[in-house]
Amino acid sequence: MPGTVSRLSSTPFQNRAGLRDPLWLRLLLITLALLFVTFVLGLPLILVFRYAFREGWGVWVASFTDYDALSAIRLTLLTTTVSVPLNVIFGLSAAWAITKFQFRGKNLLITLIDLPFAVSPVIAGLIFVLLFGNRGYLGPWLQEYGIRIIFNTPGIILATIFVTFPFVARELIPLMQTQGNEEEYAALSLGAGGFQTFFRVTLPNIKWALFYGVILCNARAMGEFGAVSVVSGHIRGRTNTMPLHIEVLYNDYQTTASFAMASLLAFLAVVTLILKSLVEWHSSRNQIENTES
Amino acid sequence: MSKRVLPGFGLSLGFTLLYTSLMVLIPLGALVLFSSRMGWEEFLDKAVRDPRVVASYKLAFSTSAVAATVNGLFGFITAWVLVRYRFPGKRLVDALVDLPFALPTAVSGIALTTLYAHTGWVGSWLDPLGIKVAYTPVGITLALTMIGLPFVVRTVQPALEDLEVELEEAASSLGATRFQTFGKVIFPAIFPAVLTGFTLSFARAIGEFGSIYFIAGNLPYKTEIPPLMIIIKLEQYDYLGAAAIGVVMLVASFAALLVINLLQAWSRRNNA
Amino acid sequence: MSIHAQNITKTFGNFKALDDISLTVPDGKLVALLGPSGSGKTTLLRIIAGLEHADVGQILMDGEDTTHAPVKERQVGFVFQHYALFRHMNVFDNVAFGLRVKKRGDRPLKEEIADRVHELLNLVQLDVQAKRMPHQLSGGQRQRVALARALAVQPRVLLLDEPFGALDAKVRKELRRWLRKLHEEIHVTSVFVTHDVDEALEVADEVVVMNHARIEQVGSPAELYEHPENPFVYNFLGGVNLLPVDGNRVHVRPHDLGLFDEPRGLQDLPADITGIHVVGPVVRVELRLKSDGSPLEAELPSRDFNREEWVAGKRVYVHPRKSINYGDADPLVEAGNL
Repeated sequence: MPGTVSRLSSTPFQNRAGLRDPLWLRLLLITLALLFVTFVLGLPLILVFRYAFREGWGVWVASFTDYDALSAIRLTLLTTTVSVPLNVIFGLSAAWAITKFQFRGKNLLITLIDLPFAVSPVIAGLIFVLLFGNRGYLGPWLQEYGIRIIFNTPGIILATIFVTFPFVARELIPLMQTQGNEEEYAALSLGAGGFQTFFRVTLPNIKWALFYGVILCNARAMGEFGAVSVVSGHIRGRTNTMPLHIEVLYNDYQTTASFAMASLLAFLAVVTLILKSLVEWHSSRNQIENTES
Repeated sequence: MSKRVLPGFGLSLGFTLLYTSLMVLIPLGALVLFSSRMGWEEFLDKAVRDPRVVASYKLAFSTSAVAATVNGLFGFITAWVLVRYRFPGKRLVDALVDLPFALPTAVSGIALTTLYAHTGWVGSWLDPLGIKVAYTPVGITLALTMIGLPFVVRTVQPALEDLEVELEEAASSLGATRFQTFGKVIFPAIFPAVLTGFTLSFARAIGEFGSIYFIAGNLPYKTEIPPLMIIIKLEQYDYLGAAAIGVVMLVASFAALLVINLLQAWSRRNNA
Repeated sequence: MSIHAQNITKTFGNFKALDDISLTVPDGKLVALLGPSGSGKTTLLRIIAGLEHADVGQILMDGEDTTHAPVKERQVGFVFQHYALFRHMNVFDNVAFGLRVKKRGDRPLKEEIADRVHELLNLVQLDVQAKRMPHQLSGGQRQRVALARALAVQPRVLLLDEPFGALDAKVRKELRRWLRKLHEEIHVTSVFVTHDVDEALEVADEVVVMNHARIEQVGSPAELYEHPENPFVYNFLGGVNLLPVDGNRVHVRPHDLGLFDEPRGLQDLPADITGIHVVGPVVRVELRLKSDGSPLEAELPSRDFNREEWVAGKRVYVHPRKSINYGDADPLVEAGNL
C-alpha cells in the first residue's frame, strides 16, 4: 500500500543463474521505467524549483515577505500544529483499541477509519459546509452566537483533520498486529500499570512507524488543497493557506512568486521522502539483526 | 487478547469511537441527511440528469480509467524493475515513487500545467506537432497518472517480493523459457495485486481535485470534473445541488472501497 | 505459597478448554502440567497468572481469593513460551524492568536495583551479557533472561509456559536440569506446562496429567509411571502393547515383554517377528501376535538380543513380565488420538 514502509529487497534474482532475464529485456524495461518515472514525477518536481529560482535568490526570498504570503504560511502552520497532534493521539488510541482487544464491529471500525482516505477532498470540505455553513444545519445557531466556522480558521482545521484522519492509525495498526501482545502481558505480569506498559514497552517498539505516520500526516496537512478550498472563502491575508495562496498567485500570473511558495512545499515533500528512506533503511537493518540470531 | 487483562479498553475504544463519530460519521451522515431534503425526483434531476454534471462524470470516469490503465502497465514495469534488477539510481527511483503522496496537489497542479502549456518545456515541443495537452482531457489524464502511480507500484512491489524464487526455478528446471515462466507462473500469482493497484489508482483518480483543477481549464461540458461541479454549485448557493453530486461521489467511493476490500480478501485467500 | 484452583471451567467460543478443574499446588513444590496440545494446560496456567479469566471457579493463593485480582497484583512471575523479552531493551534493563515500574514508595534505589539485577544475572550465568540486546542472544540465553526477569520481583509463584519448547534437544536437556537445580536453591512454588513426558518426569516433584480439559491423574513421577490409573495416562507416558490374557486385554510396556525361543508356561504367547531395528543400546523388535494378528513392540538391551537366529519371520514366544488390566476398554479410544 502506498505510504507504508516498503522493503527495498536485495535482488536475489540476479544471483540465480536459471532466472536471469535476457539482457535486452532488462535494458528495455529499466529504460521504460526510468523514462516513465522521470517524465511523470521527476520533470514536474524539477520544474517547480527551476521556476521558483529563475529570477534569482533575491526574488525568491522577497516573495515571502509580503503580508499575504506570511499570513498564508502562518495559517498553514497553525492548522498543522492543531490537526497533526490530534490525529496522532487518535491514531495511538485507535491502534491500541484495535490491536490489543477483541470486540464486535472491529472490522467496521477499521473501514470507517479508512473512509477519509477513499473520499474526494472536495467532499471533505462539502460536509463541513453542510454542517456549519450559513445554510447548513448549525448555521443559524452559529450565526446567533457570532461563531464563524466556515470561511474561517476553525473550518480549515476541521477539514484538514478529516483529510489526514487515517494516516497515523494506518501506519500503526498493521505493525502492532504483527508484533503481538506478549511483551505487554509480560510487562503486566511484572507489575507495570497500563500507562507504564504503553510508554515503556509498546511505544518504543512502534516508534519508527509512528514517526513515519507523523511526517506523512504533516505533509498532507500542510499541502491539502481541495478540502480547504471549499471551506476557506479564499480571503487573502485571512483564510488562505499556502496551497490556496499558490493558486491565487498562479491565477494572477505571478508565476515566480507562486512557484516560490510551491518550492517550500516541494522541499518539504523531498524531506519527507528522505526521512521515509531513512526509516526504511533503519527498520530493514533491525529486521536483519533480528533474524541473524 | 482479552478485554479485561490489558488495561485501557474503555478509554481507548471510547475515545476512538467519539473522535470517529465527530470527525467522520456525523459529517458524512450530514451529507446524506441533507440530500434527503430533496425528493427522489429532485435528487435525480440534480445528480444524474443535469447534462453538465453528467458530462463531468463521464470525463472523470474515462480519464481515471485511462490513467489507471497506464499506471497499471508502467507501474507494473517500475515495480518489476525495482524488485528484480540492479541499476544506478534505483534508490532514487524507489524514493521518488512516493512523491505524489507527499507533494501537495496544488503544487503538482501548477507544475504540470506549466510543463504542458504551449510555452512549457514539453508543451513547446508538442504544440508544433499539433498535440495539445494543457486544458484538454489528455492533460487531465496525465495529472491523474502522476497521482495514481504510487498506488500501483506500492501494491505490486510487495507481491513481487513475496514470490518464492523456488517456483521460478522449478519452472525453469522443467524446461520453461523466461517468458513462459512469466506468463504461467509469475503473472497469475501477482495478478490480484495488479488489479488491486489498478482499482486503488482508479478510486483515487475519480475524486482528485487539486492537480486537475489547474491543467483542466475548466471548460463547461468539456473539461469540468465532478468536484469542480460541487464547488460551482456551492458558489451559486445551490447547496442541494452540491449535496446531490456529493452523494453520488460518496457512493462511488464506497463502491471502490468495497471492490478493493474484496480484491484484497481474494488475493489473501489465494496466497494462503 | 500454595495455589488452589477450585472448579475452574473455561470455554473459548465453542471450545471447552477446561472442564470443572480442581487442583492444589503445595507450597514450595515444582509441579508439571503435562498433556497433549489442546488439553487445557496452558489455559489453566494463564488463569492462575491472571492472563485469562475463568468462566466459573476460583483461584486461591495462600487461602486468599485472587480470582478477580488483576495480573499486577498477583505477584506471579510468568515465563512465556517465546520469552517475550522487551526487544528494545538490553538484558540488564529487561531484568530491571519489574523493579523500575514499582510505585514510588516501593521502588528500590538505583544502586539496589543494580545489585539485585547482577545477583540474578549471576544466578542464571549471564552476567557477562548484561549489555547485549535480546536478538544477539541464543534461545537458551533468552530463556534464562526471561527467568531472571521474572524472579527479580520476588514472585510468590513462578509460572512457566512450555519454557523449553522452542529450543534444541541438547539445550533442552541442559536447561531442564538447570531449572531443577535452581528450584532446589530458591524453593519458589513453581508450575510449568509441558507436552514432553521426559521433561515432566525428570524435573517435577509432582505431575498433573491433563487431557481434553480434564485432569487424568496427579502424582509423583514414580507413582504415575508405576501406577497409571487409566489407559490414557498409561498410553501417554510410554509405549503400549495390548495382550489377550485370561479373556482380558492387558497393557504391557515394550521393555516388559520378554522374548523366548520356547514357551515356558501358558502365559507365553506365540508371535512372529516382522521387523528388527537396532537403535543404539537397545533393539526394538516388531512382532505380530499369532492369535489375533495384532502388532506388538518389544524393547530389549542389545546384549540380550540373539542376533543370528532371530530374524524376520521367526516364531518366538512373548512373556509379559508386568502388566496392568483396565478391563475391556480400548486404550486407543480412551486416548482420543490415532
